[in-house]
Amino acid sequence: MLALHDDLSDFAFAIVQGKESSPQIVTAYRNYPAAVAMEIYRNNYRGNLHDALAGAYPVIKQLVGDDFFRFLTREFIAQYPSRNANLHHYGVELAGFLTAFAPAQTLVYLADVALLEWACHVAYFADDEVPLNIHKLAQIPPERYTDLILRIHPACRVVRSHYPVAAIWQAHQPAAGCDFHIDLNSRACIALVSRKDDVVQVAELAEADADWLHAIQSGVSMGAATDSTLARHPGFDLPAALQMLVAQHILTNFNLGATT
Amino acid sequence: MYPPANPTLPCTAGIGLRAPHYREVLRDLPKLGWVEVHNENFFGGGAPLHTLLKVREHYPVSLHGVGMGLASSTPLDEGHLTALHRLCDAVQPAMVSEHLCWNAADGMVINDLLPFPYTTEALEHVARRVQQVQERLGRQLLVENLSSYLSFTHSEMTEGEFLAELTRRTGCGILFDVENLYVNVRNLGVDAEAFIKAIPAEAVKEYHLAGFSERDGCLVDTHNHPVYEEVWKLYESVLRHIGLRPTLIEWDSDIPALSVLMAEAAQAQQRLKDCHACVA
Repeated sequence: MLALHDDLSDFAFAIVQGKESSPQIVTAYRNYPAAVAMEIYRNNYRGNLHDALAGAYPVIKQLVGDDFFRFLTREFIAQYPSRNANLHHYGVELAGFLTAFAPAQTLVYLADVALLEWACHVAYFADDEVPLNIHKLAQIPPERYTDLILRIHPACRVVRSHYPVAAIWQAHQPAAGCDFHIDLNSRACIALVSRKDDVVQVAELAEADADWLHAIQSGVSMGAATDSTLARHPGFDLPAALQMLVAQHILTNFNLGATT
Repeated sequence: MYPPANPTLPCTAGIGLRAPHYREVLRDLPKLGWVEVHNENFFGGGAPLHTLLKVREHYPVSLHGVGMGLASSTPLDEGHLTALHRLCDAVQPAMVSEHLCWNAADGMVINDLLPFPYTTEALEHVARRVQQVQERLGRQLLVENLSSYLSFTHSEMTEGEFLAELTRRTGCGILFDVENLYVNVRNLGVDAEAFIKAIPAEAVKEYHLAGFSERDGCLVDTHNHPVYEEVWKLYESVLRHIGLRPTLIEWDSDIPALSVLMAEAAQAQQRLKDCHACVA
């Protein structure tokens, strides 16, 4: 084992867990004692993780305010130390953490908003894919539609909540006005996250459309997805759903499945 | 060993390009020598990479990493290396750089740039890893000197000597952060002149400049302030001793208007020009 390993390990424990630092560290400098330096490293560690969370969860931060967000992230960071050198991976557990976080229990919708924000964060970094060319689809003979296997954009995510989280999210975007009224008990919500060019967007999905999208996402053909959706939602409107999903850049490509 | 990057950075002043300025830069295409971005912001691909590729159509781009942990005691992160390789393929950057620091030990990751003791053992360890990165990327890596708030009793050499030996062993280049050196002079009593003499001038491929802040007597490398007069003075001295190199203005927190960054870059550009006259 490297001697270097022991030095770094001691240093890491001193930063992350506040342990005594290594005796190998010089104790006093011209203008400050070593304790000042160690505190700067500890603050950097927490500060960088706080900033990563603030970047991924801007709506949560607005909902609870800067001070409470700082308190909340401090607790979160203590429970979930960083495991990845890329800060954009940090914070996936926040929704789960909020579910159990006693000081925020009155904000019943908070965990679901966090779930939606993480979906948006992932969508922002998801690979690019060319959206479906509707003219290409029009060249397929209608009798073959049932065999079509549709491909979903990697940025596409669906988040279900008992609360109107899509409306909450939209009301807290930079372009939104500050005058809004959301009735928390108004309705459950199925939020659809997608990305158009560089912009992540959140829309609401009807139950039938969500069922159909879920079936398509599981890889079944368009015919099978439509049959199973219609069995549960006789009013399902396939052309309208297709049009909406193409407009949202949810569908990217298709092939004619195993029968070709 | 590894050929220098192609296309090379112009020997002018560039700026660190951060998210708040993407839109403005792409809309107005201001006169900038080149730009540098943080690798990790583009690893996922997606929207950020899409933006960077548009920027790349108009400016030379240098890729600067903050997460490789060249001195970490855990193995190099394969996922990180793969993501960097993929990014290099997409962007075809003029330079690729990383810091002489560590960020992981014993399963803990500290998303910061941390100092380590400059021992022979550490030198062998870091040299192996620099080689591993260069082999994977098939290109030269620039390694940047670190700003530190503390030092180790059992260092066997200075950071300058460590970097000099690292370039000799691996063929890597040096990204000379002049502000980092200044911070170390003030914090740790590092000898600036000795540092400049220790590193081989021909290995230096790029300079960084930034502002710092102070906390309880310690200078902190916060990149949230214009370049201080003392750092400009040190930069002028570095230009005279090492030579003219592409120079970057970095600003990473409390990011100001693009015009402020461009004014800082213009100041660096003026010094490059003045120094060119003085050596010509």
